[in-house]
Amino acid sequence: MNALNPQLRAAGGRCGRWLSLVNLLAALWAQPGPATMSDGFALPQLGHVFTFPRDHGAHPEFRLEWWYLTGHLFADGGSRYGFQATFFRQTAPDKSTQLHLAHMALLDVQTGRFLHQERLNRDGWDASASNVTLALRNGPWSLRSAAREGAPPRAEDRSAAPAADPMEPMTLLGGIRSEVSFALALTPTKPLVRFGVNGYSRKGAELSAASYYLTFPRLAIDGQLTLGAAAPIHVRGEAWMDHEISSSQLGRDQVGWDWVSIQFNDTPSRELMLYRMRLRDGTTDPASVLQWVSGEGQPTARPFSWEVLSEWKSATTGATYPARVRIATTDLATGAPVSFTLVPLAAEQELSGRLGGIAYWEGACRVFDAAGREVGSAYMELTGYARPLKF
Amino acid sequence: MGAVELLLLRRFAWRHWRLTPGQSALLVLILALGVGVFISIRLANQAAVASFTHFTETLTGQSDWIIQAPAGTLPATILPELRRELGALPVHLIPVVEATASAPPTPGADDRFGRPTYTLLGVDLLALANLARTPDQSFMVPPASPPSAADADVNEAFWRAYAAGPQLWISAAFAPSPPRAISLVLDERILTLTVAGVIPTTPAAPRVPANLFVIDLGQLQALVGKNDRVDRVEFIVEPGPRADAVRTELGALLNRLGDAGGRWAVTAPGARRETAATMTRAFRLNLTVLSLLALLVGLYLIFQALDGAVVRRRPEMAILRSLGVEEITLRRVWLAESAVLGLVGGALGLLLGWAGAQICVRAVGQTVNALYYSTSVASAQLTLGESALGLGLGLGAALLAGWWPAREAARTLPAQILQRSRAPASGNPWLGSAALGSGCLGLAAVLVQLPPLRLAGGGRFPLAGYAAAFLGLFGGGIICAFLLPLITRAAKGLGRRQAAWRVALGHLRAPSGRHRLAIAALLCAIAMTGGMAILVASFEETIQGWVERTLQADLYLASAGAQSASSQNRITATTATALTTHPAVAAGTTLVAHPIAFAGGSTLLAGTDLHFFLKKSPPSWVHAPRDLALLDASRNAALALISESFSERFQIGVGAALTLPTPSGPRAVNVVGIFADYGNERGSVLVDARHLRAWFQDDAVTNVSLFVKPGINPDSLRAELMQAYPGLSIFTNTHLRGEILRIFHQTFAITYALEIIGVFVAVIGLALTLASVLLDRREELTTLRALGFSRHELALSAGAEGLTLAVVATVGGLSVSLALGWLLIAVINKQSFGWTLSFALPWAQLAALAVAVSATGAVVSYAVGRWGAELPADREA
Repeated sequence: MNALNPQLRAAGGRCGRWLSLVNLLAALWAQPGPATMSDGFALPQLGHVFTFPRDHGAHPEFRLEWWYLTGHLFADGGSRYGFQATFFRQTAPDKSTQLHLAHMALLDVQTGRFLHQERLNRDGWDASASNVTLALRNGPWSLRSAAREGAPPRAEDRSAAPAADPMEPMTLLGGIRSEVSFALALTPTKPLVRFGVNGYSRKGAELSAASYYLTFPRLAIDGQLTLGAAAPIHVRGEAWMDHEISSSQLGRDQVGWDWVSIQFNDTPSRELMLYRMRLRDGTTDPASVLQWVSGEGQPTARPFSWEVLSEWKSATTGATYPARVRIATTDLATGAPVSFTLVPLAAEQELSGRLGGIAYWEGACRVFDAAGREVGSAYMELTGYARPLKF
Repeated sequence: MGAVELLLLRRFAWRHWRLTPGQSALLVLILALGVGVFISIRLANQAAVASFTHFTETLTGQSDWIIQAPAGTLPATILPELRRELGALPVHLIPVVEATASAPPTPGADDRFGRPTYTLLGVDLLALANLARTPDQSFMVPPASPPSAADADVNEAFWRAYAAGPQLWISAAFAPSPPRAISLVLDERILTLTVAGVIPTTPAAPRVPANLFVIDLGQLQALVGKNDRVDRVEFIVEPGPRADAVRTELGALLNRLGDAGGRWAVTAPGARRETAATMTRAFRLNLTVLSLLALLVGLYLIFQALDGAVVRRRPEMAILRSLGVEEITLRRVWLAESAVLGLVGGALGLLLGWAGAQICVRAVGQTVNALYYSTSVASAQLTLGESALGLGLGLGAALLAGWWPAREAARTLPAQILQRSRAPASGNPWLGSAALGSGCLGLAAVLVQLPPLRLAGGGRFPLAGYAAAFLGLFGGGIICAFLLPLITRAAKGLGRRQAAWRVALGHLRAPSGRHRLAIAALLCAIAMTGGMAILVASFEETIQGWVERTLQADLYLASAGAQSASSQNRITATTATALTTHPAVAAGTTLVAHPIAFAGGSTLLAGTDLHFFLKKSPPSWVHAPRDLALLDASRNAALALISESFSERFQIGVGAALTLPTPSGPRAVNVVGIFADYGNERGSVLVDARHLRAWFQDDAVTNVSLFVKPGINPDSLRAELMQAYPGLSIFTNTHLRGEILRIFHQTFAITYALEIIGVFVAVIGLALTLASVLLDRREELTTLRALGFSRHELALSAGAEGLTLAVVATVGGLSVSLALGWLLIAVINKQSFGWTLSFALPWAQLAALAVAVSATGAVVSYAVGRWGAELPADREA
């Protein structure tokens, strides 16, 4: 792996192919791994059989878990907004209780104004995550499946092709202080995607650096957005939702990651997800991955390269983040080389991490192909730039 | 003001001030003293009330709404319900548990009430971070558990700290550097709690009071046994353009959910401060009025001083008048001078008041602690409003007192300069009006019949009573001067032998306005001091009698944490049973008191074994119960006794039906008797403990009283129980009686101080009057010297004059004090606190007051006389 590093720095595309192969092999060789970490927290297992709606709910036997919604909203009048709604859950070291952290953010593309808020609560009356289905609360914020709790669970048959998940709508109630509020109905328009190997996603060389990674790559949004003291406005749009469950996200030498989700405008609709695990010396960890999602919702890994075209320095944290980024890979259908440039809709989309202790950049972007045509919308997440992450 | 006035002020007034700096300073000082007393009482009062709400505010800023159960606590199950009902409204919900604790008794030290009391505030310290008020994560990572390099993530330090058990956060004002641990008495236990760190604050937040400890909500709930209960929930609307709309919507929602006060009462911002203010309003108003009465003495004095200045400057004014200066101009100049004097005196008064408040605040704080709620103010703040009030008061007093002298000065006829001996008797002619004096006294007699002014929440203010006191003092002062001729006639025999006496009495036979003024001022001070002495003596006698009748048990036990009227420290049922069934105990009973909301105010709902209460230690009855069912717990569920204060405060008598809020729903009871209770001004409702336990689902008790078996020494049983229960305060009968009286005297400490200031000011006034009189009599003094009067004889003459004035004022003052004492006891006290007191006269104190005032009056007058004897005939003073 060390021998690969200089090549990796020189030309991302070629070694990217190697990277995803190594990742896949590492995943396969790793089995059967330990079921728990040394501190007793559960570890994701390859070949895990997911049960829904139970697995949309919380898994307190794992140390960390998050439900991550990002999306693009368009008002009837044509105004554009980007939003983020994230619910984190963390189990205490003694497993007696849990912490719930939540982040909400809204970008008003017209004005470039970026608002965000964090909320931190112990598990209890003001914050909880159901172990039965998708039902998350943190103060006045909530994300719930519209399906009734107690519906009979459906186990997947590992040998059979994964059954399509029910396209049950969800409801998100969120906002930022008394400045912004949104009530959004989110309906999956594509089936649930299991990234990695059937939902088992490796993040580093250590066996513990892995997660279960479930995604709704495209959710149709219909709802209301209230800005300031103005009357609520009707909005539509599309969102992406990740659900990741892990006990340790990062390997020893990793300091953070870059993550991108792209929703293309083509038909049938395709998406792309990549995470790039960054090492202490700034290079890309071989465990990094780019996966296409086909029109039918099948994930396929492809090699990739990551090129930072410009940077932005935060006045709040002093961190320097990539701003415009070019991603090169091969097309899912044709295998031809393609590249996409991500252009943030506003430079200032940093969440300062006052409560959670982690500052990161999470922003809405436009996506352009090599010919300069706008081909989709994206969200980009950049972590570990303010200081190295550790979990 | 025109150029002439300015010129006169500079050439005429300013020169006087410069030439006689001592007199000017005295005048300013008197004004300052009056303003100072008033301001210091006001500041001390405000500080005592202000300390009330600072607790949650120091952490969260001001809440938008607060909900509180009408009685007892709120179940924690309402929290998820509230969050559900609130939906997506951007509101922080802050459940709060409050407890009180005190420092543990020092071993070997005498067990007295008044040890430091602390408020333990339980809030979710993690969720506080969401308010973005405290510095980032400061509660999450206590200094006692710093993050380490080995931590897996940023939350590790937090987990470590909060898994470590209950930890206290203390105020920076508590100790310069936080101790490692603090021992506290909580209920009946002594606990030693680790100190996590100093409560973090932002510069904008109110100062954290020294007696506030903060604990994580769950930890405090576990410590005080309030699992799944909270004392109140505070709501803070998140900031933003919609905040006002959200606040309104939230208020309506909370009111709807609260079932119109049945489940909880919704209070608006500042309402808790308002409650505290209402609770102590009567007490504070009383103090304020007392300080105003002290100012009345000051007013007399300023009048005397300005009048004296007119006398001294009359020659100049006559010259000015003869030079063509108009009367109106002179009057303007004189008033402007008074105004400057008032402002300077007012400003100095502010300083004095602020300094005095630092002393008073402790005394006021102690009283508020003993009667109302826990407070810990160490200093009082001078605000812009108070400064304006102080200056205004100084200005107003100087203008009011300067008005008449200004008129006198302006009307001085040029001819008077040529004929000083014909100078008219100065002083306000009203003071010579017997009709006015009698009118005032008559009106006072009518006013005492009027009921008090009723304030919100059962507060009362005896406005008519105070007006009667004021009129009585004023009218009494006028009438008293008419005693002077009578006294001089009686003293004739004395005067025959002594020339000095003859001269003195000759002057008093036809008293001048100035003499009348001196008498009125002195009478006012003496009557107030005497009246207050009578009130205190009556109060003391009544309390002593009450204590003797009602304190029958041998030992009294309470949590050592219970050191203030609002203390919530209790004794568990297990301990209470162990105590009452102790082998050395013949019988024992318990009392429990829960604060409840009643008719817009706060009062106490108490429970005891009524059979035991009525048979073994019956109270002093205001209205004894006749219904025998009261003795039978199976038949007395709907019967209640009320205290006299409760009856007076809420105007409820025997036979009335009350609806009492309890956690298990409202309970209807009938009032069957009224008992006297001097320990509690808020009033109380007493029911059988068995029912109260069921209503509140709570079997802890507030007090236990024990009767020992014959042959058992209560002191040795006390020693044994102290060993077994170090967290309990145990008083023997004698000790408790002593403590009650000690607290009682402490309550009146400020009042005494005020009266002494009043008498002091009045004696100065007497000296000033004599000085003016002597100045006026310069020609006469010259003649007397020429006739062979020695300096000593002249001084003796002045001394005799002063003594006579003082004696007359004392006789009148003591007479008025009897009436005032009655007024304070039967009207003002009864109307404010609802306590019936028996009348007692403190003979020795009143006699001492009379002797002290007369003797001081004589001595001071003699001294002034010696000074006057030296006055040259034509010296300009």
